[in-house]
Amino acid sequence: MANLHVSSTPHIHQKGSSTRNIMLDVVIALIPATIAGVVIFGLSALWVILACVASAVLAEYVFNLCCKRKQTIGDLSAVVTGLLLALNLRADVPIWQCVVGSVFAIIVVKCFFGGLGKNIANPAITARVFMLLTFATTVGGGAAPVADLTASASPLVTLNQGAEAASSISLLTLFLGTHAGAIGETCVIALLLGFAYLVIRKVIKWYVPASFVATVFVCYFLFGGFDVVYSLQHVLAGGLLLGAIFMATDYVTTPATNLGRVVFCIGAGLLTFAIRSFGAYPEGVSIAILTMNLLTPFIADWTKNKTLGGVR
Amino acid sequence: MKKDISSLHVPHNKNTAGCEPVRIATPSEVILPMNMHSGHDAEPIVNVGDHVKVGQLIAREEGRFSSPVHATVSGTVVEIAPIPTASGKETIAIRIESDGKMEVSETVKPPVINDCASFLQAVREGGIVGLGGAAFPTWAKFNEATNPDYKVDTVLINAAECEPYITSDHRMMLAHPDLIADGIEYLRKYMNEYLGNATFKICIETNKADAIEVLKNTFADKDYVVIHELKTIYPQGAKQVMLYNATGRVAVAGRRFPSFGALIINVSSLAKMAEYLNTGMPIVERIVTVDGSAVENPMNLIAPIGTRVSELLKITGLKSNPGKIIIGGPMNGTAIYSVDDPIVKVANAVLAFDEKDAVLPEPSACINCGRCMEKCPVSISVADVARAMTVKDKDKMAKLLIQTGVRQCVDCACCNYVCPANRHLLQINWDAKAFLKKYAAEQKEGGNK
Repeated sequence: MANLHVSSTPHIHQKGSSTRNIMLDVVIALIPATIAGVVIFGLSALWVILACVASAVLAEYVFNLCCKRKQTIGDLSAVVTGLLLALNLRADVPIWQCVVGSVFAIIVVKCFFGGLGKNIANPAITARVFMLLTFATTVGGGAAPVADLTASASPLVTLNQGAEAASSISLLTLFLGTHAGAIGETCVIALLLGFAYLVIRKVIKWYVPASFVATVFVCYFLFGGFDVVYSLQHVLAGGLLLGAIFMATDYVTTPATNLGRVVFCIGAGLLTFAIRSFGAYPEGVSIAILTMNLLTPFIADWTKNKTLGGVR
Repeated sequence: MKKDISSLHVPHNKNTAGCEPVRIATPSEVILPMNMHSGHDAEPIVNVGDHVKVGQLIAREEGRFSSPVHATVSGTVVEIAPIPTASGKETIAIRIESDGKMEVSETVKPPVINDCASFLQAVREGGIVGLGGAAFPTWAKFNEATNPDYKVDTVLINAAECEPYITSDHRMMLAHPDLIADGIEYLRKYMNEYLGNATFKICIETNKADAIEVLKNTFADKDYVVIHELKTIYPQGAKQVMLYNATGRVAVAGRRFPSFGALIINVSSLAKMAEYLNTGMPIVERIVTVDGSAVENPMNLIAPIGTRVSELLKITGLKSNPGKIIIGGPMNGTAIYSVDDPIVKVANAVLAFDEKDAVLPEPSACINCGRCMEKCPVSISVADVARAMTVKDKDKMAKLLIQTGVRQCVDCACCNYVCPANRHLLQINWDAKAFLKKYAAEQKEGGNK
């Protein structure tokens, strides 16, 4: 009989449990938002998405090749990064800028730190903030949806103009996403579909993004005159849901315990409110998450599990 | 109200739960390794060419913790030579060629017991060891309970059988509830001073409904026996988990088990002990579940200890060439080098997996998903252990490792099982525990200087 394999325990592994499958689940969860983005913003959105994903994967491939590392594009994490970055951009961003952003995300933010699992900040978010600063004129604000070229101002900008202006934004529009904004952030229904999928597949816990969103809601409710509609508008407009569901739940750059992740999200929620209310940019989610990414090691230290029978 | 520890649903694959154990025809030879228990290897007392009979002592205890070995077939000793073992070390093994008669040795007669000391001596001479996997000599375990510092009020009888595939304890309980009852009575009688008022909790997972029924009937009129039903969740059978779920007490690493007021013994060990005390026949055979993806007809077989695995697989048949063979369960069992290796006392199962299931995915980078910590029954910060192990400074490393709680690790392998990157987390925990043990010993030594 042929030689037998000998290895240490355990001899079985949970079926379907792999990094690739987790990343695949995230990609699947992003599909509704991707489709919605293309429908709302037209074909130019599709080009942005394709450019970001392709350049992200290619960048990782080339980096691994140059550094003689094991090829890692099969884990699909580069696809997730590229897709998330694209969904965070306006549909009318020049393609070359998309490529620069994607390469920055993969090479500088991820690979230079040691690849997947070692990066301290979320690559897509960091790249978006980088592009916001570098290509301020094209990346900031939101592109107009193809159906309605007149409504070119992002609803977040309108909201910040005061209560009167805010009343012009209907909640239905926010749910459908037919307003100016980044490709993947506008359609609330699509994002909630993705959220449900991730929760059902046990990739994320529902209360992690929920604590982010709830914090923002409560802040606007308390400081915005106890107005439910106004608070909801703030929650649904802009990149909050996209950020809360897909970026604040990134395993690598958030604490590993669920308690830590909730603390992370509450912090990100408070920062989002602060930046939106007092900062120069109408949008604050990216910078809030990026800031919390940097605090992650500390939060992780404070929120460790208590071992049964162990001494701390 | 405390919350039970519940870790993980692992697919049961208890395919053989309905299979009545079948006694195999006497094998042509058996191989009896000297390390079928934890502690020192036993010392052979027979020579090549000697004729031996079933139940005859062929190797005596050697060292502080050891256990004797008995012949499991009648026949001639043909070889006493080292064989490789799964740990990488070699051990002496006695090969006996069977004469096919299965003649029982004249030495096999019920031991004479008057008191606790002679009871422990008998259990010792019977070669009774923990059959749940650790193979700790049973007499030593009982002996610990006689320490006046400990007050044992609960005896946990481990019938969880939480590992996938294995049904040998299950089938034993269905066939011999009387032996379990005898075992309990022996303990009550001869260790009355220490266990007289103790409650005997038979801890069993709810997936064995028929066995629960049988046990309930057997012990209906005994108020000191409780059938404690446990959720069917891995790792219910780990002693620390069982202690917590059955009594609410927390096992702290580094302390002896009876100091938590409880004694724990595997249900098959208890039955084998009762059988020995009743008849004088030591552990010479056992029920072995033979299953796995390469096995044609999963079965429960009664085989002499030392039977080659290949003999068992001949009976069940093979669907395909096995790529990996495990003695014990898939979460905690030992992979063996050759199909010609023998089954040992703790071999509750022989699992043959085909080539496809033999190799697990290559480990990749940790993505900090936290599943290892979420599924850890005792909430160790598993992911931090590997990080701490890379620290250069020994004192700092020890401090960080202690903070992770890794000393509490129950070796269940849940972290490793769920890890999407399939990292060798259990192995890392073992390394960490070994380091801490060595470090503690060094510190002690340094302090004495």
